[in-house]
Amino acid sequence: MPPLGRSGGADASDRLAGLSDDELVRQFPRLEGALSHALDRRRTLRLLALALASGGLKGCDPGTPDRGFVSAVRAAEGVVPGVPNIYATAHVRDGYAEGILVTHQMGRPIKVEGNPAHPGSRGGTDVMAQALIHDFYDPDRAIGPLHHGMPASWQDLTGAMQRMRSTVMAPRRPDGTRSGTGLRILTGTVTSPTMGRAIAQIMQAYPGAIWHQWDAIGRKHVRQGGMLAYGQAVSVLPDLTQADVVLALDSDLLDSAPGHLAFARDFAMRRNPVRGTMNRLYAVEATPSLTGVAADHRFIASPVMLDEVIGRLSAGLLQDEAPSGGPEWLGPVMRDLRAHRGRAFIHLGPDHPPEVHATVHAMNEALGGRGRVFDVLEPPEYRTPSPVDDLPTLMEDMEDGRVEALLIVDVNPVHQVPRLAAALRHVPTSITLADRPHETAVATNWHVPLAHGMEDWGDARGHDGTVALIQPQAMPLYGGMNALAALHACVGLPLRPAIDMVRATWRDLLPSQRDWHDALATGVIAGTACRSIDALLQPAASRVASPASFPRSAAQPVLLLRPDPYLWDGRGANNPWLQELPRPLSKVVWDNPLLIPPDLARDMKLRNGDVVTLSQGQARARLPVWIQPGQASGCVVGLLGWGRQHAGATGDDVGTDLYPFRDAPGPLRIEVAKETAIPVACTEHHATIIGTAPSEIARHGTLEQFRGNPAFLAGKQEPDASLYRRPPDGPVAWGMSIDLNACIGCNACVTACQVENNIPVVGRDEVLRQREMHWLRIDRFHEGTPDAPDTFFQPMLCMHCEQAPCETVCPVGATTHDSEGLNVMVYNRCIGTKFCSNNCPYKVRRFNYFAFAQHENRPAISRNPDVSVRTRGVMEKCTFCVQRIAQARIATDRDGVAEQVVTACQAACPTRAISFGDIHDPAAEVTRHKASPLSYAALPEQGTYPRVTYEGRIRNRNPDIGS
Amino acid sequence: MAAPFTPRANVIMTTCLIGIAFVVISGCMVWFAWPYTDYDRRVGWTVEQAVPFSHQHHVAGLGLDCRFCHSSVERSAQASMPPTFTCMTCHSQIWTNAEVLANVRDSFLRNVPMTWQRVTNVPDYVYFNHSIHVAKGVGCESCHGNVAAMPLTYKARTLTMRFCLDCHRDPGPQLRPAESIFDTDWHRDAATPTPAALMARYHVGGRNLTECSICHR
Amino acid sequence: MTRGVGMDVDVTQGNDPLIYPQETPASLTERVCVATLRPDGGMWAPMWWWMCLGVALLLVGMGAVSVAWLFYAGLGIWGIDWPVAWGFDILNYVWWIAIASGGTFISALFFLLRAPWRTSLNRLAESLTLCAALCAAIFPILHLGRPQFFYWLFPYPNTMGLWAQFRSPLVWDFFAILAYVTCSILFWYFGLLPDLATLRDRAQRRWQQVFYGVLALGFRGSARQWRHYGPVYGVLAALMAPLVVSVHSIVGMDFAGGAATGWHSTEFPPFFVFGAALSGFAIVLLVLLPLRPALGLEPYVTDRHVDVLGRLLLTSSLCVAYAYVMDVFSTFYGPDQADRTMFAFRLHGLYAPVYWGTIILNIVFPQLLWWRAIRLNPAVVWPICLGVLVGMWLERFQIIVTSLAHTQLVSAWGQYTPTVWEWSLLCGTIGLFLTAFLLLVRFIPMLAMAEMRAMLGDGP
Repeated sequence: MPPLGRSGGADASDRLAGLSDDELVRQFPRLEGALSHALDRRRTLRLLALALASGGLKGCDPGTPDRGFVSAVRAAEGVVPGVPNIYATAHVRDGYAEGILVTHQMGRPIKVEGNPAHPGSRGGTDVMAQALIHDFYDPDRAIGPLHHGMPASWQDLTGAMQRMRSTVMAPRRPDGTRSGTGLRILTGTVTSPTMGRAIAQIMQAYPGAIWHQWDAIGRKHVRQGGMLAYGQAVSVLPDLTQADVVLALDSDLLDSAPGHLAFARDFAMRRNPVRGTMNRLYAVEATPSLTGVAADHRFIASPVMLDEVIGRLSAGLLQDEAPSGGPEWLGPVMRDLRAHRGRAFIHLGPDHPPEVHATVHAMNEALGGRGRVFDVLEPPEYRTPSPVDDLPTLMEDMEDGRVEALLIVDVNPVHQVPRLAAALRHVPTSITLADRPHETAVATNWHVPLAHGMEDWGDARGHDGTVALIQPQAMPLYGGMNALAALHACVGLPLRPAIDMVRATWRDLLPSQRDWHDALATGVIAGTACRSIDALLQPAASRVASPASFPRSAAQPVLLLRPDPYLWDGRGANNPWLQELPRPLSKVVWDNPLLIPPDLARDMKLRNGDVVTLSQGQARARLPVWIQPGQASGCVVGLLGWGRQHAGATGDDVGTDLYPFRDAPGPLRIEVAKETAIPVACTEHHATIIGTAPSEIARHGTLEQFRGNPAFLAGKQEPDASLYRRPPDGPVAWGMSIDLNACIGCNACVTACQVENNIPVVGRDEVLRQREMHWLRIDRFHEGTPDAPDTFFQPMLCMHCEQAPCETVCPVGATTHDSEGLNVMVYNRCIGTKFCSNNCPYKVRRFNYFAFAQHENRPAISRNPDVSVRTRGVMEKCTFCVQRIAQARIATDRDGVAEQVVTACQAACPTRAISFGDIHDPAAEVTRHKASPLSYAALPEQGTYPRVTYEGRIRNRNPDIGS
Repeated sequence: MAAPFTPRANVIMTTCLIGIAFVVISGCMVWFAWPYTDYDRRVGWTVEQAVPFSHQHHVAGLGLDCRFCHSSVERSAQASMPPTFTCMTCHSQIWTNAEVLANVRDSFLRNVPMTWQRVTNVPDYVYFNHSIHVAKGVGCESCHGNVAAMPLTYKARTLTMRFCLDCHRDPGPQLRPAESIFDTDWHRDAATPTPAALMARYHVGGRNLTECSICHR
Repeated sequence: MTRGVGMDVDVTQGNDPLIYPQETPASLTERVCVATLRPDGGMWAPMWWWMCLGVALLLVGMGAVSVAWLFYAGLGIWGIDWPVAWGFDILNYVWWIAIASGGTFISALFFLLRAPWRTSLNRLAESLTLCAALCAAIFPILHLGRPQFFYWLFPYPNTMGLWAQFRSPLVWDFFAILAYVTCSILFWYFGLLPDLATLRDRAQRRWQQVFYGVLALGFRGSARQWRHYGPVYGVLAALMAPLVVSVHSIVGMDFAGGAATGWHSTEFPPFFVFGAALSGFAIVLLVLLPLRPALGLEPYVTDRHVDVLGRLLLTSSLCVAYAYVMDVFSTFYGPDQADRTMFAFRLHGLYAPVYWGTIILNIVFPQLLWWRAIRLNPAVVWPICLGVLVGMWLERFQIIVTSLAHTQLVSAWGQYTPTVWEWSLLCGTIGLFLTAFLLLVRFIPMLAMAEMRAMLGDGP
């Protein structure tokens, strides 16, 4: 038998793995330069990282016995092998920053946490921030300049730049100069003061140049709405802790709006009746969203009906007309809003026209909440984008040949605006600055490789304007320039290191080096939030918005295009973590089927996966359908960001590209295609089951019931009838409590768990075989009718039962109980009988049917070195992040200072729904939550005594509205 | 018709049966016993290194402390190997052109990390933490042997799971006073506190040290 | 040889003779030995034998490929998944081990009960037992995610300082199977000794003399040997009888020890014994009916035997029926809502045909055996037996897959579709069973000559 001393085929976790220098250089040619230079700290880190990378890549066969130590030449300052370092930076989406803290091991970023000091994060993260790690190590990132999509040398690139400058920017004749006329710069929304300054300098140098701002998933209607309402650029910032009644109209308040993490946090603070007074949320929407599921009342309304609702609402609120007509719930809702004058807020989604936004602003003013439930601030954008510098204008100019040189910075319009590819042919010189060779990069003449956001200096404002500093987490892994520097280099401005440009921007706010370092350490610059302004409501805005004032074709069916919750505008397409993350409502992965309402499915006799042909004007698409309970009749929903052509090995040709439908004219036609159904990978296989009885698993009730009997959800206490001896208690007893009132089902915890615990991605085919590996999943329960169900989320993870059924059946004792109450899974002892999984009532155990981890498309250095990488044929499951517990235990034992244990899911949760700790410590939050009258255990009749308990969900229903 | 068997057949048959039984049984014995052998565990084997570093010379001879090179042993899970810079602090003055040190100088000048072969290694799924053992009075020698007596470093203990468990079941005898932890040639003597006393001093034994989660994650 | 292990009984008792009256020990010995030794040097084996062997080997090859690919590619090639982590592997294991029981029941249990008819059947039945047990023994190892470590189930001193986890039914299983298979082989081989000796003595060719001679271990039929032989055989029988019950009880506990819906039932151990008996008698009949004419065993395996087996089949089918009824009762009498939901799923869910197939094949059809005329009509009995074997297989499917596909948590409901690799493995074991059995048929007397001689009275 193989002695344990040699790694018996199992569980290669990546430790220091060695390579000689020439091996290094052979595998990483760019390293030659690095080796010859003097080492600074980050370069050392990168050296280590590369050494690890190559070692890890080689060492894919688990546990090669004698891998050497690579010892640094000079010790990297501040880096102790085996001790994590944490650096603050920010994750920027469409211009708005979300502060994050990046955990390093031996100089390699391995985990992202939220930055508590940042108002846009408050310690929580969203899915995209969690998945950053994979993007950072993504082998498909840009590695060098491209010319028409073909690899080119830097010399050629610089040459091309000079030619461009000589033709476009340099003085043409003595008679008339045209410095910069015909030079266009296209960026996403820019909130970064430094980037703004950089572009401003270019504008100064080339007065003829024009700067366009555009985002695929834009918020320009919101901005224009604000402009209409207040006569100037503003941003309206709600404070949900103050709002008693919130009306969310087709809203993305908790889903994806800038600052959604903060909003979700504030909202959740008012959701648990045990810990405060509840607010009430009404949601009116066409297709279910997180906001809708979190609402106390969710009303289904097609866009047309929504317009009518807003019309009547404005009539009622702005002119005190008695509500007449419209849906029967409108009256009570309006009364409720009026009843809470000064504590009511209405939020409208970004898809609606500016006029409607103006009307909503007017209604909010009329409800008198300004200064309390919402505030009007100056906008965080460096320069508020206006219609004139929007993309359509640019494209007209291109088609008319008025554009001679185009710089596209970090956006991918060619994929998102099909027309642009043609327009680009009229532009002599087009250059893309991007960190990956995406559609635009290969469609333009030149692609300048940028560094990843985590390898770059910079800054960006959050939704409230607070500035977050962005500092590189490592030397560019695959090369790539800094965005600011690259931009200036292209137009021939003097090249300055990005750090100096950022430093210069904040010279006056952070004069001393010490201030600067403190700001870098905290990740934010204090006192930079946008000031509130006393802009007055324009009279024009408060006119009643009648449905006629914003005409919309009542044609059936209507196609609603929404960004994919995780791939967003498509930027996440090459990230397998995002691809395989179940969409919150449909639980679909690796595809974007057309979401259709149940009644349409009945009429057209469609089942999940049946293929339809979608056509509108020139746009055509063939894609499977997915029945979405609770979707407005007559609306079909398509998710954008799929069907990428140049995303990378993972993302190419996954799903269907629906961008062509965005501005396609004409009515929408849906025909059932002849061919057989396309299987759609989905992680919840009872999608069609609609329980009419309230679920025993995800318990819930109304505030009235709670007031009647607070413990009404706890159910009858099962007598302790177990024949087994309860395990004795150790020094601590770990336990977890999950507040279903706070959980909004955003899946951040799932991704955090996947990153922290090296959980492999299995791919579409394996998900179709029901072999997904997530240790933590979010179960979705529908109740009521398919057309208008109530939906509930419930995070489901290993319950760490005190009487664990899995432990008694394992023939080799690979899963046992430890004295702290952990249900321990020992991978290297597991022989894979799978009995434990069969025996688990919660089905939270996952089995490695193949060597999933070894087949992943990611370098080994991107894994968490503190967690074993599981091999083929072993079982795995949630460990309560035992590596973090062990670290804390050892540190406490060694240094005598108690360390707080925070599990990965708990740390990521934006609403603090998860509390974890020692359930014997009366002061601990988890103990208080478990004492709550709402607390209950899942499947109590199984007699497993779970250490994970839930707080049942209470909904603050409006008694005037019959459910 | 002749009988198929002569009387000798019985003897042959019996011998064969006994022989088979013997082979099977001894086979199993060997199979069980093999992993216990020092040979299988590579105990006492030196490993070829880029530089023939002598612990005997540096520790016993020059009296260097373990922590001079393995600097993070008290702070981190890993004891860590010294950067080339550490070697060069002395060897830029002495033995400046010794042949055996060529690789070290080379690494320093060309800025190329040195690679050391592991001598004492545990599988990747074993999460051994140096700092806690050192903090709790387990001497380096307990696992690494008397390296001060090793001209060339070799593996001194079997490091089987049983080896770890023996100590985790009863840590007392392996503990030593704080001042002797880095003494590679330390032995219990009359002055040494009793195991029980040391356990108490280091607060060892508060919890069960044989649980899987102590070493495996 | 005057002594024997058989018992002196009136061979013509009851309606049919147990043995045709004109048969004598001499004629019996002569017939059997000729069939096995083929002294005339005629065809080495009959045509039907070669054809069956060909088919069997083909299936074995298929199975071998399947296993090779399994070890190379891993468990993922099977259809098992997250909710349904056990499929054909455990299913076939339980099925085969149940089939194996038949031999033991007949040869051990009815030996202790002194049932005269058992003598003509026990050799055949025990041979079937061995072959089936061989097939069953494969799966516990194949179903492991890391089969290379299967021996960790076995408590032995190791450098890890670890032992097997004795609370796990799988460990009990490991030992139960080990004991059962070992004892079955002993029992079978011990009963074979006198016949091997006879063959040795009658063999003409040298290789036969040596072959049977070595196997006979020098049994010469001396009075002393017979004196020891009888008691030892009795002891072995007495050992086997409880073993066959224990092994199936423990197989039942593999599930009863689990918490899954549809498994967690204290009734399983006896039910599995019933099921084992049913499939055991079925396989004996299934093989006996064609083999009787093929080997010319009519004089010794008469309609009387077929009749008895038919009744046993009917009886065990009724026992199984009782088990099914109790299953329904306890489900709906018990407190567990999840069990009821799962049972409803059984009755009219995705796998409903499996359940109803089980009922029809295991309970409804065997009722025909109430009529003697049908019991004696191979054309009807044979399909019924085949049906019972299929039915028992379906029952295992229904216990394992249907239950797992519908456990307590709605969000973890799933389904299971076997892949070609699982089917080919099943075929492979069937092939293995046939191959092993055919070889035994060819080289081992299918009648226990010594015992039959004792029954027939004095020998030559």
